[in-house]
Amino acid sequence: MKSDMIVLGVETSCDETSVSVVKNGKEVLANQVLSQIDIHKEYGGVVPEIASREHVKGIALVFDQAIKKAGIAYSDIDLVAVTAGPGLIGSLLIGINAAKVISLNYGIPIIGVQHIAGHIYASSLEHEMEFPLLSLVVSGGHTELILMKDHYEFAKLGETMDDAVGEAYDKIARIIGLPYPGGPQVDKLAQTGTDTFNFPRPMLDSGDFNFSFSGLKSHVINVFHNLRQRQAPINTADFCRSFQEAVTDVLVNKTIAAKTSYQVKQIIVAGGVAANKGLREKMLRQITDVPVYFPHIRYCTDNAAMIAAAGYFKYQKTKQADDYLLNGFSRLALE
Amino acid sequence: MRESWKRLAIDTATKYVYLSLVVDDKEVDCVYEEGLNNHSVTVIPHLWTILKRHGLSLTDIDEVICGIGPGSYTGIRIAVTIAKMIGYLNKIKIRSVSSLALIASSAEKGLTLAMIDARRGNAFMGLFEVKNDTIMRIKADMLDNIEEYRSVLPDDTNVVAEGRPDIGRIIRSKLVEDVEDVLAMVPNYLQITEAERNKCQP
Ligand SMILES: [Zn+2]
Repeated sequence: MKSDMIVLGVETSCDETSVSVVKNGKEVLANQVLSQIDIHKEYGGVVPEIASREHVKGIALVFDQAIKKAGIAYSDIDLVAVTAGPGLIGSLLIGINAAKVISLNYGIPIIGVQHIAGHIYASSLEHEMEFPLLSLVVSGGHTELILMKDHYEFAKLGETMDDAVGEAYDKIARIIGLPYPGGPQVDKLAQTGTDTFNFPRPMLDSGDFNFSFSGLKSHVINVFHNLRQRQAPINTADFCRSFQEAVTDVLVNKTIAAKTSYQVKQIIVAGGVAANKGLREKMLRQITDVPVYFPHIRYCTDNAAMIAAAGYFKYQKTKQADDYLLNGFSRLALE
Repeated sequence: MRESWKRLAIDTATKYVYLSLVVDDKEVDCVYEEGLNNHSVTVIPHLWTILKRHGLSLTDIDEVICGIGPGSYTGIRIAVTIAKMIGYLNKIKIRSVSSLALIASSAEKGLTLAMIDARRGNAFMGLFEVKNDTIMRIKADMLDNIEEYRSVLPDDTNVVAEGRPDIGRIIRSKLVEDVEDVLAMVPNYLQITEAERNKCQP
């Protein structure tokens, strides 16, 4: 009896065309990512129409690379897992239709995966999940605290009321004049700075698990403009460090509060901002009683391995695939 | 006995989903259905239904003829994505044809303007001569102002914006071209993106 399950993951929700092959939800046989970042850099952000065009151009090639890298044949695949949303709709549809063709061609079941579930399950590629589990999802589009009582059971404890944390980072980077994508640049500069500005820590004592970063963002931008107007010298390292300290204080403190409230056994920090050094250090320094996992950097940014992992556990849980009417959605809630 | 040659034609450049199954030059099945901006949802289910109806699997297809645009950007990407994946997986020949030629093939005989609306008085337009059993190109596909383009055309020109393609005319025409590199296949958008245009401006 065949017990291994090989999942082909497909992710095209934003500006990375990615196809991966993952065995049993954790063993990555291939993780191919065709990044468009150099193209979008020139526009200071992702241009949806260009992203869609690049996905069509590269999609079949990325499949080919992944299959060859994994050293398998398409007929070895047991399940196709594809991102169904949220994301850029034009981009999502390319991955979904390519995945449907593979499913139809080989008679392989297909399953749609929610992108954030993918980010959380990136952790399962390296660490077994233990429940109840708390996940802080932080990216350019998301800032939320998710409680999982079992595989594929998500309860949202709180989320940002306005800007996502990655969005705030990119905005601050742009004001300072750092190149796109700015978040990692702010993080890098912050490493050498000191928290001298003492920016506010929004909603630190709100008593719930929600976040708000737009007020902080505006405040930080105003301070920067004022200094520049007065032609005062600005230490950008200190400036970035001060912003980073304010943001990470809020993220870490809310995570600790949720950890205590729900007696979780494990914490997973997921999403692109999980790559942030300042956040990693503070989180690991302040939380020592339960393991805090940060996915490897290649699984923090968008990739199809995390979609394959999530698809595997979703299928194990529901034992049900989707049909060919599977659709993409620019907005899609975590199930 | 010689194996029959099975061709699949697909086009999603307009609000209609078009799929056709041609066996040895004879159309044996066809879907031409108006969609509500949901080609991405319906194309594969339609394809699955057609194949099932004829006891075929996708791997039995010998050749795909794909409408590569111009037309709705989101639409043309669906057909091209599907065609190139079928070609890549099964190592079969993919051939491309103008989506405007497909529309024109539905017309009566004579000089025919096929057009797909592109808003603000503009359209993707192609000029063809439709014959009994084939179709010829008169003017290259272009994106242009509709009135200006039409002003120089004879009054009796057929003008078509939709219509079920006559795949026989298409197959017998010289308008179907081999796609040399399936992995690199892209739609014919006929213009660069707005972001690229704005960047080019001084
Ligand atoms: Zn993401």
